[in-house]
Amino acid sequence: MPRKASLHMASQTTAVTRRTVLSAAFGLGVAAAAGCGGPAPSSSTDTGEASGAIRLLTPIFEGAEGQKTLEGLLATFKQKYPKVTVEVDYTTYAKLNEKLTTSIAGGRPYDVMLMGVGWIPPFAAKGVLADLGENADALTSRFNKRVVDPGVYQGKVYALPIMLDTRFGIYRKDIFAEAGLSAAPKNFDELRDMGRKLTKREGGKLVRAGVDILSNDLRQTFLPLMWANGGELFTPDGKVAFNSPASVAALQLMTDIIVTDKTEDFGYTQPGAATGIPLVQGRAAMMVGHNNVWLEIEKNAPDLVKDSKIGFFPIANTRAAMFQGGTLGTVAAKSQHPAAAKALVQFLADSDAALAACRQRGNVPALKALESSEYVKANPSVQFAMGNLDSAFSEGGVPAWLEIRGDFKAAIESALLGKKSPQQALDELAAKATQVMARS
Amino acid sequence: MRVKPSRVLLHLILAIGALIMIVPFAWMLISSLKSHAEISAYPPVIWPTEWVWSNYPNAMGFAPFGTYFRNSLLIAVGHTVINLALATMAGYALARVPFRGRSLIFMAILATMMIPTYTKIVPQYLIAKGMPFFGGNDYLGRGGFGWLDSWWVLIVPGALTPFAIFMFRQFYLSLPAELEEAARIDGMGEFAIFGKVMTPLVKPAIATVALITFENSWNNFLWPLIVTTRDDLRVIQVGLAAFQQVEKTEWAYLMAGSTLATIPMIVLFLFTQRYFVQGFATAGIK
Amino acid sequence: MTVTSLPAKAPAAGAPAGPTRPRRRRRLGYERRRAAWLMLTPALIHLTWWIGIPVLATFVLAFTHYDVLAGTITWAGLDNFTEIFADETWNTSILHTVVYTFFTVPVAMALAVVIAVLLNAKMRARAWYRAAFFLPHITATVAIALVWMWMFEPNIGLFNAVLAMFGVNGPAWLSDPAFAMAAVIVVSVWKGVGLKMLIYLAALQSIPPETYEAADLDGASGPRRFWSITLPLLKPATFFVFVVSMIDAFQVFDQVYVLTPDGGPANATTVMTFEIYRTAFSEFRISTACAQSLVLFAFLLVLTVISRRLTGKDDDAR
Repeated sequence: MPRKASLHMASQTTAVTRRTVLSAAFGLGVAAAAGCGGPAPSSSTDTGEASGAIRLLTPIFEGAEGQKTLEGLLATFKQKYPKVTVEVDYTTYAKLNEKLTTSIAGGRPYDVMLMGVGWIPPFAAKGVLADLGENADALTSRFNKRVVDPGVYQGKVYALPIMLDTRFGIYRKDIFAEAGLSAAPKNFDELRDMGRKLTKREGGKLVRAGVDILSNDLRQTFLPLMWANGGELFTPDGKVAFNSPASVAALQLMTDIIVTDKTEDFGYTQPGAATGIPLVQGRAAMMVGHNNVWLEIEKNAPDLVKDSKIGFFPIANTRAAMFQGGTLGTVAAKSQHPAAAKALVQFLADSDAALAACRQRGNVPALKALESSEYVKANPSVQFAMGNLDSAFSEGGVPAWLEIRGDFKAAIESALLGKKSPQQALDELAAKATQVMARS
Repeated sequence: MRVKPSRVLLHLILAIGALIMIVPFAWMLISSLKSHAEISAYPPVIWPTEWVWSNYPNAMGFAPFGTYFRNSLLIAVGHTVINLALATMAGYALARVPFRGRSLIFMAILATMMIPTYTKIVPQYLIAKGMPFFGGNDYLGRGGFGWLDSWWVLIVPGALTPFAIFMFRQFYLSLPAELEEAARIDGMGEFAIFGKVMTPLVKPAIATVALITFENSWNNFLWPLIVTTRDDLRVIQVGLAAFQQVEKTEWAYLMAGSTLATIPMIVLFLFTQRYFVQGFATAGIK
Repeated sequence: MTVTSLPAKAPAAGAPAGPTRPRRRRRLGYERRRAAWLMLTPALIHLTWWIGIPVLATFVLAFTHYDVLAGTITWAGLDNFTEIFADETWNTSILHTVVYTFFTVPVAMALAVVIAVLLNAKMRARAWYRAAFFLPHITATVAIALVWMWMFEPNIGLFNAVLAMFGVNGPAWLSDPAFAMAAVIVVSVWKGVGLKMLIYLAALQSIPPETYEAADLDGASGPRRFWSITLPLLKPATFFVFVVSMIDAFQVFDQVYVLTPDGGPANATTVMTFEIYRTAFSEFRISTACAQSLVLFAFLLVLTVISRRLTGKDDDAR
């Protein structure tokens, strides 16, 4: 029993070569628990027509409102595919990984899984995801190439984009005008100059930050700066590149803003803080921010919208850059109804579902066609993002990304706090990342 | 009526302490009635200019809180009842009866608390999924989903806590042996001594364990989320988490929802206070 | 397999010993033991199944390379342990956890026992005071964060406003690596006092009032009564509160995560449980997380055994 059970634990798809090791590893009580979890010995797999009951795991469409929206969409899906039933499991991004881990460990992953940009290469490399059989080039007729790329791993399409979330420059036109500035910064030098001019202190206390680089996740602030300066995360053959001179200069810029120019104090604010967003409060003149800052402005400072006091700009130095994250639809390699699952992913990536998902959280549609939709036209922030997708960059791209990304924040902070030089911070990070990539 | 100065000082110290303890709760309560703009204003608006009572119905409409509330209540009550029944017995046996291996069992129970939840959760999920004969499983626990998506998995695994066994053991330990011996001379059986003589003396411990078990279960979030896929089996904390999306938090709704979720706990606390009375006043041993 | 089948090292202290004891007592001993096992068995079955097996799994997995995504598993020997101890962040997190525990547990326990004794006396509004001290424990952690973030706010927060009155320029508490842990400790003590107070309060109820009568006749003062009568009688409760608080402190996660997200400024508040969580669920490296958990386990086991020795036989058999 232990030996048999442990084989199930170790999954059916992977060729398990070390049976003895396995049975010993799970020989004790583990087998009784963990082992007995695989699917029944016989299970048929359909190939042709889309049919069957499939399970969907979604970190979006949360809350009563999202649920109602998705149920409406699925009713439409049912009309199109009457033989397919969809069971939805609603979760949040905060607990998505726990749901993914347990369901995969249990040998019965969800047929359709919605996940973020960085997840695709690791999951595809480990054989969790099914090849969707799409042609990446053909997809560019419907999506921007930059949007298709995160779903592609080693030339195969494993995921279709549903919605995007972007980070770029946001500035207060009224504060700029007060300081005699008429346009947003076009390069790093202008960014620093303007930042210094716009900073206001009273008795040493910062009352207005010239540039707010702390309200957005630090990694997602650093990366667009790095890309704007011509840097890359990894080389095309998958080697660490984020300690190149161009990347170090981007971190140097952030350090200069905090340490040298003092246009913002470390600790002035933090991402998602309960103390609000400084730009909206008039405590910052510009920021690197998420496209849904717009919703916060609409809600808390509607006057800024009315008098069109908010402007957007791509982060730029040697090239323009915008950070692009997103939610993508994938199909499990182990799905017993792959045709139905693929049909659902297609449907979710299509205009109705994509638009509804974006509308719920103020995000950016992935489909080109939606640029002319009412929703996009009514939201200048989303409109700006869609207009600049050609300069969008995505993080990740290597299977080890999920093990690397968590260390960025501390490295950036140690530079901003003056504990390490930008070069030293990124070199150490790169060394650690290289080690991680060698391990897996 | 004469007031002792030491009493006044005592009340003063306690009042200041109590105030420090209450402030965040009061802040939460007030924040739950602020408008979106005021809740994230800088500097903070302490007293709202406009009391937004609609935050409460809006927050309740954010997720199916009626179902969530019922589920949480059922689970919390289930956990509390089972925990009290099993843990009092186990704690008593470990405290009052000398037998071989007792120390070892006690240490083993303590040891189970020393591995963090996050590490145990994957194996626990697999055990639940592999429950033989349930949810389409065969006798080896294969083929189906076992206990997943059922009331079993929501109530059984978390129903007994090592914490409760440990606490009861310590409380039974501090009871005098004379009581037990007197009852034995009167010809009482071992179970009667446990149920009728000793257990009534640890009422404060029962109240404490009941309160803590209920509270932990009420606040549990990860396990109910992981082992269920259907929304009608989800709990109140899952509803509260929906207010916090990755990029933004609905603070006003979160505060309103949290306030409502805290009220049952406060009621339960004030209720259990009745059992914080000297157990020996009624026992009358001489 | 159950824990119960393991042989005991030695007969528990206080066990009726010797072959010469009367027959009746031996029968009684048998009946008591039978009753004890009957009472213990349901709990042992439940614990073995739902916690024992997962703990065992943790021990086994720590010595393997278990790739949860690919579904492969191979022996690793001590690889995971060499790997985690080569990780600077993990080693720092051990240090942070020890510092956190060292400052929160004794302080919160001392405060709790004093408050419990004060609130055990008959007085007006006693139930309300007790409720107030317990309130932080039941208030949602995210709601608490909203308030404390304002209090720690560098420019207009309460803490720095008070410091400014003394002419001190306060730090950016939660963002300054030198102060972030201190801020977290303050919040944790505040949040933790209530539960400990409640347990002490429950324990105080089982001290017979007669115990104090003799002391009253001797005219012993309040503090002397506290030191020489109350505290020794609270020994079993103190052992309990100490062990439970320590386990809680070593496994702290929520408060730290909400106040200083993702390890705090330059990893200044990263604690062991946070690293375990991150390894398991952000990086999907379950077996490495198991190895980290065993290190945490070892710390707690050693500390518990030591504290059990220190409280001596008092907490053992009668």
